[in-house]
Formats: sequence, structure tokens, C-alpha cells
Amino acid sequence: MTKNTVFPASYDTLVMGGGIAGEEAALNLADQGYKILMVEKDLSIGGKMIHLSKVFPTLDCAACITTPKVSEVARHPNITLLTYCDTKEISKNGGKEFEVSIEKKPRYVNEETCTGCQLCEEKCPVFIKDQFQYDMVGRKAIYVPFSIANPRIATIDIENCILCGACEKVCPADCIDFTQEAEMLNITVKSVILATGFKLFDASIIERYGYGKFHNVVTAMHMEKQLVPTRPYNEVLRPKDGKMPDNIAYVLCTGSRDATVGNPYCSQICCMYSIKQAQLLLGALPMADITIYFLHIRAFGKGFEEFYQQARAMDVEFIKGKIGRITEQENGNLILRYEDIEAGIVKEAEHDLVVLSTGILPDALPENLFSNQPLELDMFHFVKQVDELASPAKTSIEGVFVAGTASGPMDIPDSILSAGAASSETAAYLRRLS
Amino acid sequence: MAVINPEIRKEIEKYGIENFNACYNCGNCTAVCSLADENNSFPRNVLRNAVLGLEDELTTTIDPWLCYYCGECTSTCPREADPGELMMSVRRYLTTRYDWTGLSRKFYTSKKWEISAILLLSMLVMTLFIFFHGPLTTELTAEGGVKLNTFAPWKVIEMGDWIMAGLLSFFLLSNIGNMYYKIILKKKIRIPLKFYFTELWALIFNFATQYKFSKCEPKETSFFKNLKHGKYNYWIAHFLLMSGYVILFVVIVVFLSWFQTDSIHPWWHPQRLLGYYATIGLLVGITYFIFHRIKKDNEKSQHSHFTDWTFIILLLLTTISGILVHIFRINGMPYPTYYTYVAHLMILFPMLMIEVPFSKWSHLAYRPFAIYFNNLIIAAKDSKAGKKSSTS
Repeated sequence: MTKNTVFPASYDTLVMGGGIAGEEAALNLADQGYKILMVEKDLSIGGKMIHLSKVFPTLDCAACITTPKVSEVARHPNITLLTYCDTKEISKNGGKEFEVSIEKKPRYVNEETCTGCQLCEEKCPVFIKDQFQYDMVGRKAIYVPFSIANPRIATIDIENCILCGACEKVCPADCIDFTQEAEMLNITVKSVILATGFKLFDASIIERYGYGKFHNVVTAMHMEKQLVPTRPYNEVLRPKDGKMPDNIAYVLCTGSRDATVGNPYCSQICCMYSIKQAQLLLGALPMADITIYFLHIRAFGKGFEEFYQQARAMDVEFIKGKIGRITEQENGNLILRYEDIEAGIVKEAEHDLVVLSTGILPDALPENLFSNQPLELDMFHFVKQVDELASPAKTSIEGVFVAGTASGPMDIPDSILSAGAASSETAAYLRRLS
Repeated sequence: MAVINPEIRKEIEKYGIENFNACYNCGNCTAVCSLADENNSFPRNVLRNAVLGLEDELTTTIDPWLCYYCGECTSTCPREADPGELMMSVRRYLTTRYDWTGLSRKFYTSKKWEISAILLLSMLVMTLFIFFHGPLTTELTAEGGVKLNTFAPWKVIEMGDWIMAGLLSFFLLSNIGNMYYKIILKKKIRIPLKFYFTELWALIFNFATQYKFSKCEPKETSFFKNLKHGKYNYWIAHFLLMSGYVILFVVIVVFLSWFQTDSIHPWWHPQRLLGYYATIGLLVGITYFIFHRIKKDNEKSQHSHFTDWTFIILLLLTTISGILVHIFRINGMPYPTYYTYVAHLMILFPMLMIEVPFSKWSHLAYRPFAIYFNNLIIAAKDSKAGKKSSTS
């Protein structure tokens, strides 16, 4: 989008974040006739959910739930979608409206004309590790982020591009444009929904687990990528030597309920996603032994306990005890040292693949995002719900609402519920304004 | 049946620890501990017993004595429940429980009691000197040294030493008997007699070397790497202090006639060399510990109970006054020699009488004996298991 394109300058609602919560909130409002601007910082909308394999406890396909919503958002006449954009500043003007400035980062590809044919990708000579596939496979310097990305537009990774121009020559629509620059968009909105989601705990902070040092210690999101329909190897393989693992350990509460790393709260999803992955792994690797090391299994939602019992019945082993230390052996196997709480004895167990079930951290909003009125955060730096019981989407700024995990750890159904609440409250607010 | 004492938490908190009730029982502390093994899985079990108020389990446990407080459990505890300090506090608590006189508990829980007792014993020493000291001669020996044995004849002092050593042994041994009762007899553990002899080496070896202390902290692969990265620093400092102390204790109690002489030996004489080694060892150890307790730069020096300070300060003063006596004596300064000598004993005597059987210094006996008892228990268990497997 170039500077001269006609771009509406005012909207009813700005939805920050294109994950499942943002999509749900945007669709609810757009269907009621409100004009929505959705701003996504990444190359594609879909958030974390679009990368998942199945959802718990029903084992429904995650992509099958989220991609229809993604497409609907992209095509909805009342929703304007901006991807690869950073919201820099939101300030309340004299009246009830917000002035928003958005930085549109250059893709070096014309978004209007790119068809996502990927011919450029074929020609590009640069190979780089694919961050969307957890470095398990490579991608090119010009790339469509992943197969079900939306919008399906190529982007040049300018850091790694060697400016050879091969893509430019091959592009049938002539949309490569190395002269693109970041541009600022200034718009006015009546309300804001913060659906900025969460980030995952960086497991390398806990040095004694050896993540980043031992190849066969991976995070659950990495494992998830080996279980999705678009998985790179069509097989579960361990990173170090490509061996099919047959004795996998899950380490729960990695970075959750742990004051030493600054988040003493429960992330609410790790128990269940680990149980889910264990069940999926038993499908992918029927002969594998799977052990889940837990502190307490928190199976609190509808159908969760049954899902947990099902995993037990499938012979997933559950051991109560926090892993204290992981050491690597020469063959790449790992020794996990823990206290078996039921026996009261310190033990060591050998596994050939260790999955760290990392928890949810607040994804920090840009500093001074709300320039003339500070947004209150809770003690863990999630967006504070000022009236949690009566009006859960309300924040400390009138007209700004929160949806999904931006307000705290929650699973997918709860995020959707939360987005529903946020959209209803926003709609009511907009009604009151007019 | 387990008996629960709900007051136990408050009792333990008197010995230093603050927030151990935060524990959520995950076992991280045990899993990171480099000294925990399948026979002694601590510290979670000890902490758990303290949280639940299981007094019997707590008073009969051996595990706190096998912990050397590297602090790894505390720095990685997800609930910040401070298991390392809990073990320290339980050691203090156990010291008071092994002591049948009840004095230990008074000294540990009341500064007034501890300080009054020190002053009282100091006064006792001073009174004895006032009434029974020898002539304050200003005459010097042929070599120009002070005639200390005229002022305080070694025969008289040695008599005092023997009385003191007798008292110390009586209290300490009876407390160890009590410890043996709690750890082994009360739990009805049957130990074949031969193991008392075969495992005796553990007692002597660990008393002399604190080998287990050197095993504390997660270690790297080679001895020299560990040495280079300071993994042995605490152990070395402790060893210097301990060896200095033991040497001086032995020469003073057993060989005083050889150690407290009026004649000034040449510098290479074993009497002087031993004395100097011991003094340097003590000074290095004390300085090292005081430095870290003030800087609080690692887990084990984070919390200093007042009894820790009393002990280390008394030890420092004893050492300094001892050095002064030596300097004054060989330089022929009679009065300063006499006064510092009295002061030296005024510090030394209460320190030994209070710290050794009743307070921090009792660990010199409890730690090696705990390892000894633990070896007995394991040996008995193993031989039982061996018999079982051979019969079945």
C-alpha cells in the first residue's frame, strides 16, 4: 500500500492483534456493522493457534477451527486488515476518540499485486532456517511465511537478502520493490480492543535444563510443529541425530509457578497441551514410552479430567516431581534428576527426547503506547482488568478493552469467550457514544 | 501413628528460617542437591516434616547433618521457601534437642542468655586469676622472654584444662549418646555389632577431612577445574580453620608443658611452626567467613544467626589475644603478657564451654558422627537386603 492509496482515516474499533481472540472480537463487531481496523505485527494473522495441531480436550483440528475465521477476517467488507505493522502510539484526542499512529514495515513486495505464487521463492538462492518451523527446515530470503498464512503474500527478509534480483526477474506480476520504506499511517478510532496475546517463556533462562545447549531438549511448541498436518518431516524426529524417539519426557511447569524466573502464576494450558501431545505422540509413535513429570495436574475445564484419565489409560506415565537437573550423555540421551515425591526418593531417569512445557508470559505492549493516559497493568504485567467480575473486558482507559491472553493466561475456548465479552462491551460502548 | 505438633513451625522459626511454609512440595530442592542420594533424599523430606509438624520425624532425622549448605536448593526453589536455610535452622534445632540440659535451647533462642553465660564464665576465669595467680615478675629469661610460667605455671593451667576437657567430653558425649538414641535406637534399627568397627574409619576420616563438604555444590568434571573456579574455597577455608583449631586444642590440653614454655625456641622449632600454621589457618578461615557473612555474596552467607556471629567473633578475639601473648612474651614485655594472657583465657574458656557442647561448635562432633551413624544404617540395610536376596 503506497502513500497515495485511498485509505479510510477513521474506524469504529482498532483491534490490536490478529490471533484467535482478535479475530473473534473483530468478526463479532464487523457483523454488527461496525468498521474495524485490525493491526497485526506479524506477517500473517492467525496468532499462535494457526500453528497448533489439535486442541484439547476434543482433539479437534486447530487449523480447521481457526482458518475459516482467518479467511473471514481477511475478506470481511467491514474489516480492514493491516499485517506486518506496529502500532506505535495511541492517544486520546480532545473528544472521545483515539488518534493512532501505525508504522507499516516494508515487505519489499507490492501487497496489492502479489498473488502468492511462490515463483520468487523457487528462484531465490539464499537459504535460511525457517523460524515458523522452529529451524527444522530451511526457507528462502523471499518467502511466504507458511503454507496456510493469510494474507498469502511474499516478503523479503532484507537482513538476509543478497540483493541479487533473481526474484525481480521471475515475478510475473512485477511486484518486487526494493525501494519500499517504512511509512506511518495516522488514523482515528472510537475504541480499541487489545488482543495482543502472549509470548512463551524462554526456556534457556533455566540453565540447568540445558535448553539451547542440549539438542534433544526441545520446547512443546517445537514438538507441536512436528505434530501438525503441515509438519516438516511427516515424522517425529529428535533434533540431534534424526532418530525416532521412543522414550519421551515432558517437563511441566517450565517457567510457570516459579518465583526464581519471575512468574509464580500457573499458565493454565501446559498440563493439558502436554497431555494432548502425549496422546498425539502415541498415535505418531505407537511404541514410544511417554512420561510426564508434573507438580499438580490442573485439569480444571470441561472434559479436562476425562482427557487426563484417558491419557493415563493410554499408558502415559505420570510422575509427581519437579525436574531439578538435566544432563546430556554422549549418545544424545538425557538424564533427568528428580525426586519421586510419592516414594520420597531422588531418582534419575534416561530419556531420548525431553520436551519442556513452557508457560505463558505477557507479551509486553510497546512502551508508552498510550501516550497521554497510562494503561494499568497487573502485577505480572498483563493488561489489568479493572472490573474483572462485572465487566471483564474493561481496562483502566475508557474505550479500551482487552480480549484473550493479553489479560492473563487462558486456553482457546476461554480466549474466544473473552473476545466475545470484549466485543459486546465495545459494541455497547460505541452505542452509548453515538 | 504420626503425632502432629502444630507449634513446631514457630519453634523452627526461632532458629532463623522465615518462610518455609511456602513450599508446594515439588522436590526441586532434592533433585538439584549434589549430596542427596537414594538413601538420604533431602532437603524436601525435612522441610515437609517441618511444615506438617511431624516432630518425631524431625527430631530423629539424620539428613540435616549430611547437608553442607551449598545453597543450590535455595537459589532454585520455585517458591522461595529457602530449603537451605531450613536445613541450617533444623541443625540448630537438633543441637538443642540433643542437649539434655536445656541450656542449648536457651543459648540459641535468647541473646541475653548467651551473652550472660559468656560474661559469667569470663568473670569466673578472671576471679580465679585474681586469687590464684603467681608472682608478677618483671625479671626476664636469659633470652629476654617473659617468665610466663611464673605468673601462670603450666601445671596449674593444665589442671584447669583437664577439668574443662572433662566437662566438654561429658556434655558432648552424652549429647552424642542422645543423638544415637534418637537416630538409631528410637527407630528400632538393628545394627550388627561388626559394623560399628568396620565403619569406624568414616568417623575418623570425615572428622579429619570434611570430605563430604568438598562434594557439596554441583561440580565440574575435573578436580583442577573445580579448584580454579573456586568450588573448593569454602572447604579449604574451613579445613584451614579446623586444622588450626584442632592442633591448638590438642597442644594446649595434652601437651601444654611443651607448648607453654618460657624459653624462646628458634623459628624453625616444631613448637613455633605448629603454632604459626595453626594461627594462620585460623586467621585465614575466620577472615574468609567474616568477609562472606558481611558481603552476603552467596546463599550460605545470606543469613547469619546471632549465634554464628558470637562464635566467629569469639574465635577471632581468641586468636588475636593469643597472637598478642606470643608477641609480648618473646619481646620481653611482662605486664602486657600477663594481662593479655588472662584476657586470652577469659575469651577462650567461655568460647569452648558454650560453643562446643551447646552451640554452633557442636557440629564438630555431630557431623562426623552423623556420617558414621548413617553408614551404620546403610550397611545394616544392605546386609539385610543381601541376606534376603540370598535366602530367597
